[in-house]
Amino acid sequence: MNYTSFFKAEWLSLLRRKQDTLNALLFFVMVITLFPLGVDPSSEFLAPAAGGIIWCATALSVLMAVEGLFKEDFNDGSLEQWLASGLSVSVLVLLKVLAQWLMVMVPLLLALPVLAQMLFLPWSSLLTVMGSLLLGTPALFLIGAIGAALTVSLRRGAVLMLLLILPLYIPVIIFATGAIRAAQLQMSVSGQLAILAAMSIVALALAPVMTAISIKASVN
Amino acid sequence: MNWTWFHKLGSPKWFYQWASKWAGKLVWIGLLLLLIGVVWGLAFAPADYQQGNSFRIIYIHVPVAMLAQSCYLAMGIAGFVALVWQMKLAPVFIKSVAVVGAVMAFIALLSGAIWGKPTWGTWWVWDARLTSVLVLFLLYMGVIAIQNALDDQVFADKAVAVVSLVGVINLPIIKYSVEWWNTLHQPATFRLTEKPSMPMEMWLPLLFSALGLYLFSAGIAMWRMQTEVLKRERKANWVKQEVMSDGI
Repeated sequence: MNYTSFFKAEWLSLLRRKQDTLNALLFFVMVITLFPLGVDPSSEFLAPAAGGIIWCATALSVLMAVEGLFKEDFNDGSLEQWLASGLSVSVLVLLKVLAQWLMVMVPLLLALPVLAQMLFLPWSSLLTVMGSLLLGTPALFLIGAIGAALTVSLRRGAVLMLLLILPLYIPVIIFATGAIRAAQLQMSVSGQLAILAAMSIVALALAPVMTAISIKASVN
Repeated sequence: MNWTWFHKLGSPKWFYQWASKWAGKLVWIGLLLLLIGVVWGLAFAPADYQQGNSFRIIYIHVPVAMLAQSCYLAMGIAGFVALVWQMKLAPVFIKSVAVVGAVMAFIALLSGAIWGKPTWGTWWVWDARLTSVLVLFLLYMGVIAIQNALDDQVFADKAVAVVSLVGVINLPIIKYSVEWWNTLHQPATFRLTEKPSMPMEMWLPLLFSALGLYLFSAGIAMWRMQTEVLKRERKANWVKQEVMSDGI
């Protein structure tokens, strides 16, 4: 096993479980549908709220996708193989998260223009929404991986993981929706996007290490 | 500098004996200072020219809010110590302080709401600082929840260390959110490093109650740590002797 073959194997196994990817996307669509139904279907409410709705739906679907990230590897002993392989566990975590990120985010971004239209999001701010998703979601995935690794040994870890991880998502959501609001007011968005990128970079530096520590403690 | 005292603190037995000497004293001195500060602040300090008497809740609200943040910072540092040097007492510390911090964050939210009603005209606003204290409270609850969910002690200790270390990233956001978002909440009133922006007779009681609450909470945390140490070391000989000597 080396890093390239590991990534290929991860990618292939994700590709062969297309239903999981589809489920994450359907969940995203479902959450977005709840807002017009539950709050207000008029464009006066939806247009300004669209950015926030999209980001809340994204955060929830990311958590759903990340929650089972290490579950199978834990059950079939792959995590022990990781530790025994002599490769850096942090890098393996990073590769696994990268594969998962591509698998969830590419379909989501492709579906986004349609959903954005349904929420009456102005076309001019669609690019900012996409940019904020591209820059912000790596942080969501990386932080979520820590929670997934911590709760992997629990049979009902999902709720606990939500409780642990969701508070950490709040700064990302605040700055992402801030950028989208600024775009709708025709203001400069580069500041907020830069902070989003900074958060992802910090997460990129620290989260794989934390995840590796948690994996080592869980396997034991 | 001599670091033996610090290394000694890593041993549960030594810590237990050291804490038995200090915890009680800290609690009582802290309680006394807190009482002086609060009574002085509530009854004798001059009323605020703008907010009148309603500002007096500051003598509860500000110390409690400071402590809610300090406890989390301390937990984060302890988490780092637990992961890097694997000191036995660091996870015990996190477990004990988490509850104290959660209570403080809760009181901070509650007293803030009570203060907000007369001054802002509303119990709650979605202001950055209020929200981040709410998040802080949720983070405390997360630490407590994962501690309770994991049965394996070694793994649970690692997990809380990771969670508190990661959560500390939230602290600077809390601290600087007022400057970042410039919102309804007034900027921090209490800084030791700067000349106070309020008159001395208002500031001194605040200093007393803040100091008192810090000492009081430190004492309470030490008591909780002692209990936890006894639980974890229940098979050790010195615990048996300690319990016997107490006359049981």
